Amino acid sequence: MPEKPIPENDPIVSKSLAPHYVISMVILMATLFWALWDEDFGQRPWKAFQHEWKDRYSTFLKNARTQSRESQKEIEGSADYQKLKQDYEAASQNAAPRIKEINEKLHDLGAKILAVQNVFTDRRAYVNASTYDIETETSPSAKQRKQRNLDEYKKEPSTVEMPDGKKQTFKSFDELEETYNDLKNERTQLSAELGELIKPVNEKKELMDSYLTDHMVNLTPSQLTNLQNGVEALTPKIRQINVSEHNADIVREDSSNIVDRCESCHMGIREPVNLTATSMALKGKKPDEYARAFTSHPERDLLKIHDPDKFGCSPCHQGNGRATTSVEKAHGTYEHWLWPIFPRGNFEAGCQICHAADIVLVSNDVGWALSEGKDLFRQRGCMGCHRYEGYDKEPEDLLSIGQEIKLLEQQKKDNLKQATDFMQQADKAESNDEANRLNDRAVALKVTNSKLDLRIVQLDRTTKSLLQDLKKVGPNLKDVRLKLNRNWIPVWLKKPTDFRATTKMPNFRLNDEQIKAISAYIWQSGLKDSLPKHKPGNAAHGKELVESRGCLACHSLGEGGQLQGGTFAANLTRVGEKANYDYLVRWVHNARERTRPFCPYEKKDIGPEDYKKKGLPFVYDLDHSKCPNDGHELQVQNMTVMPSLRLSIPDAEDIASYLITLKKMEPSAYTDASFMDDPNLKDEGKKWIRNFGCAGCHEISGLEDEGRIGTELTAEGSKPVERLDFALLTEVAQRGGHEPITDAEDLARLPEGPAKEPWYDHKGFFEHKLAEPNIWDKGKIKPEIEKLRMPNLHLTKEQIRSLTTFLLGSQENPLPPNFQYRPLDYRRDIQEGWWVVKKYNCMGCHQLIPGQKTILMGMARYQEAQEQLPPKLLTEGARVDPEWMLRFLKNPALNDKDTNRNGVRSYLQVRMPTFSFSENELGKLVRFFQALSRQPFPYIPEEVPMLTAKETEMARSLFSSTAAPCLKCHATGDPAHDRVATAPNFLQARGRLKPDWMERWMIDPQAISPGTSMPSGLFRRENNHWVFSGPIPSSFQGYDKDHTRLLVDYILQLTAEEQRRVAAAMGRARAAADSPSFGGSNGTGKAGRAGIK
Amino acid sequence: MKTKTWIRILGLPVLSGLIVLAGCGKKETETAEQPAAQPAAGPAATPIDPATVASVSGTVKFDGAAPPASKIDMSQDPACKGTNTVENIVAGGGHLANVFVYVKEGLGNRSFEIPKEAITLDQSGCKYHPHVLGVMAGQTVKIVNSDPTTHNIHPTPKDNREWNESQAPKTAPLEKNFAREEILLPVKCNQHPWMKMYVNVVKSPFYAVTGADGKFDIKGLPPGDYTLAFVHEKFGEQDQKVTLAAKDSKTVDVTFKP
Repeated sequence: MPEKPIPENDPIVSKSLAPHYVISMVILMATLFWALWDEDFGQRPWKAFQHEWKDRYSTFLKNARTQSRESQKEIEGSADYQKLKQDYEAASQNAAPRIKEINEKLHDLGAKILAVQNVFTDRRAYVNASTYDIETETSPSAKQRKQRNLDEYKKEPSTVEMPDGKKQTFKSFDELEETYNDLKNERTQLSAELGELIKPVNEKKELMDSYLTDHMVNLTPSQLTNLQNGVEALTPKIRQINVSEHNADIVREDSSNIVDRCESCHMGIREPVNLTATSMALKGKKPDEYARAFTSHPERDLLKIHDPDKFGCSPCHQGNGRATTSVEKAHGTYEHWLWPIFPRGNFEAGCQICHAADIVLVSNDVGWALSEGKDLFRQRGCMGCHRYEGYDKEPEDLLSIGQEIKLLEQQKKDNLKQATDFMQQADKAESNDEANRLNDRAVALKVTNSKLDLRIVQLDRTTKSLLQDLKKVGPNLKDVRLKLNRNWIPVWLKKPTDFRATTKMPNFRLNDEQIKAISAYIWQSGLKDSLPKHKPGNAAHGKELVESRGCLACHSLGEGGQLQGGTFAANLTRVGEKANYDYLVRWVHNARERTRPFCPYEKKDIGPEDYKKKGLPFVYDLDHSKCPNDGHELQVQNMTVMPSLRLSIPDAEDIASYLITLKKMEPSAYTDASFMDDPNLKDEGKKWIRNFGCAGCHEISGLEDEGRIGTELTAEGSKPVERLDFALLTEVAQRGGHEPITDAEDLARLPEGPAKEPWYDHKGFFEHKLAEPNIWDKGKIKPEIEKLRMPNLHLTKEQIRSLTTFLLGSQENPLPPNFQYRPLDYRRDIQEGWWVVKKYNCMGCHQLIPGQKTILMGMARYQEAQEQLPPKLLTEGARVDPEWMLRFLKNPALNDKDTNRNGVRSYLQVRMPTFSFSENELGKLVRFFQALSRQPFPYIPEEVPMLTAKETEMARSLFSSTAAPCLKCHATGDPAHDRVATAPNFLQARGRLKPDWMERWMIDPQAISPGTSMPSGLFRRENNHWVFSGPIPSSFQGYDKDHTRLLVDYILQLTAEEQRRVAAAMGRARAAADSPSFGGSNGTGKAGRAGIK
Repeated sequence: MKTKTWIRILGLPVLSGLIVLAGCGKKETETAEQPAAQPAAGPAATPIDPATVASVSGTVKFDGAAPPASKIDMSQDPACKGTNTVENIVAGGGHLANVFVYVKEGLGNRSFEIPKEAITLDQSGCKYHPHVLGVMAGQTVKIVNSDPTTHNIHPTPKDNREWNESQAPKTAPLEKNFAREEILLPVKCNQHPWMKMYVNVVKSPFYAVTGADGKFDIKGLPPGDYTLAFVHEKFGEQDQKVTLAAKDSKTVDVTFKP
C-alpha cells in the first residue's frame, strides 16, 4: 500500500497556533494579575493608608515623651530642636535690621499720610461734589461755567503742615492727589515687604514650637505602651461607623443610611494623642498626603458633644461616607455626588445643617466664621431681599396669626350654631335623659367658645407684640423731608461708601437718571409735617454725653484708623452734613418716636385729621395703639432697634448740637438738587425703587407691602450647581485659570484670591457673587431694567468667607429630622433668647459669655475705670428674680417719674436704655437668662427667716465691721456718698436678688464676675461653715451657722432707716458733709448740667 | 508527564506572580528608626563669672517744671491718715523718681534663679509702699496691711491672671506671685480709689526703681550689649543701649520731659 502522500500544506506541519496561545495567555495572565491586584489594592486604596499609618504611628509613639519638665528639656536639647532653633534665630537676626528700618519708615509715612490726608480729603470731597454737580447739570453753559470753577479750584495751591513741623505747599489739587497716592503706595509696598520679611521668621518659629508639642503627649507611660501594642497588632480592615447601630433608641429607621468609612484612612482622628501633619510626616520630609490624613481631629471638644459613633462624620463634613475606592470618591468631589465635602476654609458650614435655628451656636462660639455669617446676613439686611427661614420672620408670623384668628372665629360661629341646634333638639327630645345629654353638649360647646375667645385675645396681644418686634435695617424714608439735607440725597445714592465707608447701605451702581428719579420719589412721597423747634444746646456737654452714656457701644466716631466704637450702628463722623438739627434732637431723645402712626389695615399714615374726625387727641404710643378709623393695631414706633436712653430734652439738645458739628464740609456746599421737586420724575422713581427692592430695608410711602425681590436662600447650598446661573462664565469657571473680576477693589474681596483652579461649584459661585454681585452680567448687553439688581455690599475677604460658609451650609439635607437641633427643654429658651440678644446688640455693653469682649471694654475711657463698665451678665438668671427682671427690662429706671437715671446702678455714667421690648421679647429674654443659669421656671422665692434681735445685732456688727466695710462701696442713697459708690444699694436686694446667689457672691465674687470691684476672701471655710475672715465680733461666741447666710438674711431685711444708722455710725455722715474733690469731676448727668445751664 | 509539565509551566508564573503580590503586600521601607539619639545637653547659657561682672548706674532727670502734686481727699475713710498727694509724678530738683529701669534686651536665653525671699508691698496711710515695685516672675510678693482699715488688692493685668482679694486690718499677709513678664501692671484698691501702684514683673534680677534723687544702680551684669528700658507710668518708655566690658561700671543718664 502506497503511503498516502503528505499534503504539501499540511496545517499540522506548517501552521502553529502557538503565538496566538502565547499572546492570549499573556493577556489572560495580565488580566488575572490585574484583577488580583485590583481586588487587593486598586479597589482598596485605604489599605496603603493603613500600612503607612502602622509604620508612622508606631514610630511616633516610640519617639513620644510623656509631658513633664524633664522631657521638655530633653526634647529642647535634641539636635533636631537645636537645629530648628538656630534656623529661627539666624532668620530673625537676619531680618531684624531691615524690619526695624521699615517700621521706622512706616511710622514716618503714617504721620505724613495723616497730615496730607486731612487737607486732601476735604478738597477731594469738594471736587467729587462739584464733579457730580457738573455731570447732572443739564444746561451746557452752566456746565462749562461749573467746569471752569472746578478747574480753578483744582489749580488753587494748598498747604500741608508736615509732621516735622515744616509747611509744604502743593501747587494744585492734582499734585496733592499725586503726592497722597504716592505716599499710600509707598506704604503698601513697605507693608508688603515687611510681611514678606516676617513670614519666614514666623514660619521658623512655628516649626520650632510645633516640634516641641509634636514630641510631647499627655499620657502616662503605661498608656503609651498600650497604644504601641495596639498599633503593632493592627491588621488592615475597613473601619466604619454605622450610625443606627449605635443609637437605635433615638434615630429612626431612615437614618440607617449613614454609614461612614472615613476612619479607614483617617486613622488618627480619635487617637488620644495630638497628631499634627508634621508629626506624621516621614523624618526630614514635608507632610505628604498620608501625613495630612493621619492628623487627629482639631476640635476635640466638638467631638465630645457630637460623639462620632452617634453622629457619624458625613453629617457634619459631607462627602460620600461609604465610598472606599478613591480619595476623590470618598470626599464626594466628583460630579455624581451632590454633597461634596466642605472646603477647608468653610468647614463650619457643616454646623449650619443642623443648627440653622440658632443665631449663636452654643455658648462658646464667639468669633466663629459661621456665627459671623449669620450676624452679617441679619445686620446687613440680606433678609430684606432674600427670604431665609427664621430670619425676619415677624411678617410671616403676623400673617399666620391672622389666619389662625380667622379660623377660630369661624369655629366659634360653628360651635354657636351647633349649640343652638342641640338646645332645640333637647327641647323636643323624647326622654329627659336624651334632653339632658343634648343640653350638656350645648353647654360644653359654649365653654369651648369662651376658651376660644381667650385664645383670640392672646393672639391679638401677640399681634401687637409682633408689630412692635418688626424692625427694618435702614431708616424710615417717610421722614426724609424732616430729617435730611435734600441736596445730600443724590450724592449719597451715587455711592454710599464714598460718604461713609462703613455703612450698611450697599452700592447699587445707579446711573444719574435713576438717582434723580429715586431721590425725587423719596422726597415727594415724604411726610410734610413740621417738627418742634429746639434751641441750640451745649456741644461740649453733648460730646461728653455721647462718650459716657454708651452711644459708642453701637455707633462709631472717626474714620479709618481713628475709628472707635461699635460697628453695629452708623458711623457718625459726617452726620452734620446730612441731618437736620431738630430731627436729631427728637431722634436722640427717642428714636422710636414716629411722625405719624401707620395703619397696616388702611395702608395709610394716620394724621391729626383722622383723630380729629373721631374727636380724639393726636396721641399714639404703645398704650394708645388702636387706629381711630378702624380700631386695628397701629405701627406706633419707628421700626428701628435704637432704644431710648431716657435723656432729658436739654441733654438731647446738647447731644444733637455736638453731632451737628461733625462734618467735613458745610451742608450748604452740596449742589442744589431742586430737580427732586419735579413731579414728572415720581413714577419713574417708584419703578426703580420697586426694581431695586429698597422697601426691603426702608419704610417708604406707598411701598409698605412690597415683597422680597430676591431668591429664597434657606436651601441655597443644596441647589444643584446647574441651577446656579454662571451665565457666560460657565466655561470660564469650569476651566479655571482666568479670573473674570477685574475691578481691583472687588478682586481684593475674594477670600481665596483670583481664581487659579476651576471654580464651578457653590463656593466659587457665592464668593464671586458676593465680591462683585453683577459679575454674571459680564459680556451681556441688557436694558437697565433687566440688569442684575443685587448691590455691592462692600464686604471684606473675611466677611465673604463667613457668608459663603453660612450659605454652603444652608441645605435641604437628607439627614433624619432628629439630627436638627430643635430642643424642647430649657435649651429652646436659650436658642430663642440669643436672637433677641443679638438683635439689640446687648453684647456691645454686657459680657454674656466668659472671655467675650464687649465694645465698651476696648475703649480708652474704661481702661482706668473698669468699675464704670456695665455689669457682666454671666450668672444673671441665678442672680435675679425673674419677676424683677421683667420689671427692670420694661423700665430700667425702675421709676415711673424720675426716668433720667439708672434704676440699679445709679453710679454708672453709661445708661441701660429702654428698649420698649414687646411682651413677646420680654418673655424670651427673661426665660433666656433663667435657662442660661438653668434655673427652675417659674421661680418660687425662698422664705427668708425673721432674724431675732440678737441675730440682727450680730449681723449688724459684721455688716459694719471695719474688716468688711460694705457701705464703703455700696450706694446708700446719700448723694455725697453715692458719687464715689461702685456697687448697688442694698435696699434693692429684696425682691431682686436670689438669696442663694447672694451667698455665693459674698464667698467668691471673682468667680461670678471676674474683675469685679468686690474682693474675694471675705469668708473662709471652717468646720464645714463659712466664717468671716476678719476679726469675729465677740457676740458670735458659740454661733455655729454660716456667717454668710446670716448676712444675707440681714441684707434682705435691711430698712432704709437701719442703713442710715449704720452708715452714720461708720463715720459716713462726716465724710458726706465735706465735698470730696476726688471722683466728683464726672458726676451724674444732672450735676454736670447744673453747671452748664 | 505532559500535564505535569504544563502545570509547572503555568504554575511557575502564577506562583511567581503570587510571590510578587505577597511582596507588594509588605512594605519594603524599613522604618525601625532609632529614637533620636540621646541629646547632648543643649548649649546652656554660660554661667556668669563673678570676677568679670559689670555694673551700670545713672540718674533719671526731669526736664521741666514738675506739676504740683494734686491733693487727694481721703475723708471718705476716717481711718486713712498721712500725706495725701497723688504720686504719679514725683520729681524734685530735676530728678524723677519711680522710674522702673530694667535690662530689656541682651540677656539672650539666660534664665535666672527665682529669689527665695519675698518682696514686700505695704499698705499704710492708705497708700502703697513702694509705689513702683519690681519683682521677678514667680517670686513671692508679700502684701501687708498696716492700716486700721480694710483694703482690697486688685491687680488688673494684661498678661497675667486677674484677682481681687480683701485684706482686713491685722490679718496675715497675702502671698502672691505673677507668672509672666509684664511691665506696668496696675494694682488698685477699690475701696480707696486713689490707691494705685504698679508692679513690674521681669525675668531677670537686673532691675531697679529710681529714688527721689533719680538714681538707679544695677549690678552683677555679665559683659555684653544691652538695651536698658526706663519706664514711667505717665511719661512712657525710653530705651538706651549700653555695651559693658568685663568689670565695667558705666553711667547711663536719661531725661524725661513733661
